[in-house]
Amino acid sequence: MDILLTNYFETGAIILFGVGFATLMLHRNLIKKIIGMNIMDTAIFLFFIAKGYIKGKEAPIITDSFKGVSNYINPVPSALMLTGIVVAVTTTAFALALTIKLHKHYNTVDLDIILRMRGDQND
Amino acid sequence: MINYIPILNILILILFSFIIIIVKNNKKVKFISLASNIFVFFLSIILARKVLTQNIITLSLGDPNNLLGIEFLISKPEAVIGLIFTFVMVMILWYSNFYLEKEVSENRISFFYLLINILLASLLGVIYTNDLFNSYVFIEISTLSACGIIILKDKKENIKATIKYLIMSTIGSGLVLMAIAYIYSITGHLNISNIHEIIITNYQFHRNAVLIILGLFTVGLGIKSAVFPLHSWLPDAHSSAPTPASAVLSALVIKVYVFMLIKILFRMFSYEIVNSFIIMDIILLLGSMGMIFGSIMAIMQKELKRMVAYSSVAQMGYIVFGIGLGTISGTAIAIYHIIGHAVTKSSLFLISGLLIDKTGSKKIEDLKGIGKEMPFTLGLFTLGAFSMVGIPILPGFISKWYLSLTCIEVGRVPLILIILASSLLNVLYYFPIVINGYFGNDNLEGKIYKAKKIPFINLLPIILLVISMVVIGGMSYNLIGLFNI
Amino acid sequence: MNFEIFLPVIVPIVMGLVVGIVKPSYENRNKVVIITTILNFFLVLYVVFFKDNSFYHMVKINEFLDLYLHPDSIGKIFAVLVSSLWILTTFYSIDYMGKSKNLNKFFMFFLITEGVTLGIAFSGNLITLYLFYELLTLSTFPLVIEKGSAKALNAGKKYLIYSFFGATMVLFGIILLYSQTQNLSFVPGGVVGSLVFGNKNLYLMVYILLFLGFGVKAALVPFHSWLPSAMVAPTPVSALLHAVAVVKSGIFALGRMTYYVLGWRVIEFTEGNKYTLILVLLTILMGSFLAIHQENLKRRLAYSTISQLGYIMLALVIFENSSYIGGMLHMLFHATVKITLFFCVGAIMHYEKKTELHEIAGIGKKMPKTMISFSVASICLIGIPPTNGFVSKWFLAIGGLDQGNYLIPIILLLSAFFTAAYLIPIISTAFFKGDPSKKIEISEPNNFMLIPIMILAAINLILGIFPNAIINTIQIAAKKLF
Repeated sequence: MDILLTNYFETGAIILFGVGFATLMLHRNLIKKIIGMNIMDTAIFLFFIAKGYIKGKEAPIITDSFKGVSNYINPVPSALMLTGIVVAVTTTAFALALTIKLHKHYNTVDLDIILRMRGDQND
Repeated sequence: MINYIPILNILILILFSFIIIIVKNNKKVKFISLASNIFVFFLSIILARKVLTQNIITLSLGDPNNLLGIEFLISKPEAVIGLIFTFVMVMILWYSNFYLEKEVSENRISFFYLLINILLASLLGVIYTNDLFNSYVFIEISTLSACGIIILKDKKENIKATIKYLIMSTIGSGLVLMAIAYIYSITGHLNISNIHEIIITNYQFHRNAVLIILGLFTVGLGIKSAVFPLHSWLPDAHSSAPTPASAVLSALVIKVYVFMLIKILFRMFSYEIVNSFIIMDIILLLGSMGMIFGSIMAIMQKELKRMVAYSSVAQMGYIVFGIGLGTISGTAIAIYHIIGHAVTKSSLFLISGLLIDKTGSKKIEDLKGIGKEMPFTLGLFTLGAFSMVGIPILPGFISKWYLSLTCIEVGRVPLILIILASSLLNVLYYFPIVINGYFGNDNLEGKIYKAKKIPFINLLPIILLVISMVVIGGMSYNLIGLFNI
Repeated sequence: MNFEIFLPVIVPIVMGLVVGIVKPSYENRNKVVIITTILNFFLVLYVVFFKDNSFYHMVKINEFLDLYLHPDSIGKIFAVLVSSLWILTTFYSIDYMGKSKNLNKFFMFFLITEGVTLGIAFSGNLITLYLFYELLTLSTFPLVIEKGSAKALNAGKKYLIYSFFGATMVLFGIILLYSQTQNLSFVPGGVVGSLVFGNKNLYLMVYILLFLGFGVKAALVPFHSWLPSAMVAPTPVSALLHAVAVVKSGIFALGRMTYYVLGWRVIEFTEGNKYTLILVLLTILMGSFLAIHQENLKRRLAYSTISQLGYIMLALVIFENSSYIGGMLHMLFHATVKITLFFCVGAIMHYEKKTELHEIAGIGKKMPKTMISFSVASICLIGIPPTNGFVSKWFLAIGGLDQGNYLIPIILLLSAFFTAAYLIPIISTAFFKGDPSKKIEISEPNNFMLIPIMILAAINLILGIFPNAIINTIQIAAKKLF
């Protein structure tokens, strides 16, 4: 229990990951699935960035003068997660666009119903 | 200069993809795309020649110490896989130059070439890179562009298949990213070689974490490479996509992820580490199940392209099986099967496209008597089927043979039965097509000899693929010798 | 360079492909096929007499996929048998198949099969043999389903599935064997040698797998049922399948496996032959027993083949000098005898459209030469002295007695009795039944059909009276083995 509390970033991240994963797997509504996907991604970002965070250190942005390496947090995870966010946003946008298309064709965003319908019947 | 070919390949492809957006004329688009791919193919030849003499090429971008920057590492397997993949891609593009209009509407054709270029660039990126996060980015790019080429055919089933594929692979990439986060938190590195140095001494202290990491990577990359039972997206996606796209997806895309898994398991960790976890047995089990159930499901299919797609699931089983044996020779065969199956499956898909186009039906039963109308095309299909079934010299046989020998080597003789059962099952779904195509009075009635002949020049890419398949079978001994990871 | 060895294999295959692609007219095609088979016979003879202990490497991919040809005495005998019978079958089938248009495909695979069968005969190691063995399945399949009816397709599929099942077992065995010996070449006495000690069970498994696997093509009970089904094929094909190409290739492969790869001492050590002997005896008895109940002439002959193949396989499970000679002799004699029988039945089918036993009453008067040939062949098969069937069975029985196994001569006698029981009715029905008062015109088959039949009947007789030349050759081969 202590471990969970001291590493509350990681604990939170894993819980969030679980929530996102469950949403993605269990919900039938496509929009909710996409939200779940985003929660999952955010959880990973949090986890990653928490790995680079050093308590009491500044963000690695040089404002006035360089204060020495030891005064900043690890910038690598933050930089990586910036890329990660870009990837997540692209995927979300694409998935949303697909959802719109699906809604046009099937008049529903319920994936179960969509998967049950044979796509080529009405073509 | 040669050392820079890997990054050059990727940059050329992406650069030309931007040119493709600007150009409006479809003919010019086709030319540009083909030209850039051929150029990359030649660069890959040069690269492969260099690697074969020099063993290994590393290219550090950004940071010479590889602490922050990205490193490309090309050893023999990477060079050969890159070479074969670019070759297959050139052939598929050649084919799609005259085929694509049949399935994709005029105004979307340039998108196909745009996406194909980006896709190949990202696939090469995954193959070449020695950096975990970089590979994640390339994996994401390849997934998105792969989704793009499926949805080019603007039909309901395509959209459905794409969303299924997208959701599944998002889960996969989420798991992969999580695994990367774990490994970073343990080792503080993202470079595979650096991680290896640290983890090899410290893994005993992090056994649970390593197990989680292995599990996350296996499942994450397993979803993306359609390892049984995570394959449910594959048949929809691969059968509904336009045929050249199906060929790309089945022959190249899923292979890249499994190759990434090989790199992670055996280069980042090591044989010693992974064999001390239960994960290898699970991988072996998944591979065996894939070989059997993939084939059984292929037998039950009624549509040609779905059948070929399910056959990919079975063939991925062979690759995963090879990995799961957990020996150097097993991995070498897995890599050999990657390239062998790349050429075989791409030619099978391309031929299926022609058959479907000429008969106007996706159903297998409508292909009866096609051997009389398109004797040569079905002949090529037959050769591909022979490889799948395991006629000696062809790559399918070589893989089975060496897999069996490796089974004996590791003392798991009963597993050979699975390999052989799977090859017998392959007979059951490939041969009926050939038999009903060529033989039977009922089947041949009313068919006119060579009625649906295809111009030789259009068949040439498939012929080249089939020839290269035979060559890969013939050179198997030398090739397998190269694949030491 | 011993390229000449490769010629008999590749010439028919190339010519077959030429026939298939060029699609020549009826006359031209017949000329091509006849010339090819005759030419090939001489090519084989050239190899037989001028190529001693020579190798031809087709491709060497790696240490195991080393495909090479190496004709030795047993292979040469088989090759001569194949190529000579193929000529006769060519003439026969030109008449039998008639002038229907789509025969180019038939003759294409007909020629390819000859090449592949000769490939089996000349193979220098097990993996080459396996390759040709698979190709044989593929090239004979179109011949089996030549009629193209749904029934033919089903029979063909059955044949294909049985064959691939067998080939898979063979492959399993080869893999296991290779992992131990790293050597699959044919050496008299086998390549295993002393490796067997300490690994008895593995070699037992290898032996059983290979025996059952090759046994599928050799119609070993319980894998025999494809053979009667494959009777839907046109008669020349049935004759070839039964007498020469397929079943004999199975037997030949079994012989190679038993005496040249594993070695009979190894098998005896593993005691695997005890199990296979049971199957073989079952094959002999079941085949002849089932044959008696067949009304259809071709099916009757098919079951007879199964039983006769049992005799040959007997030589492969009793490791005695004389039984080996007997088995090899029977392989040759059964080939010529059975092809004669099939040709006669085919002639009746073709000219009289009669396929059942009760329909052929009195046909001996209409087609005397054909039916006399049939009788001669039947007598040979039953094994009445001084015919060739008697010679081979005599050696087989001696071999059994040498081992102190009295069951074998008894079973041979019993089966000879059965053989008589299913062949004599055909002869008696043909000659003595039917209305004697009816005036019957003699109408023999066309010379294309009749002359091969009569040549074969003559060969049967001559071989029975003067078998010594062949016995000597086989004895030389046997000396290396025992």
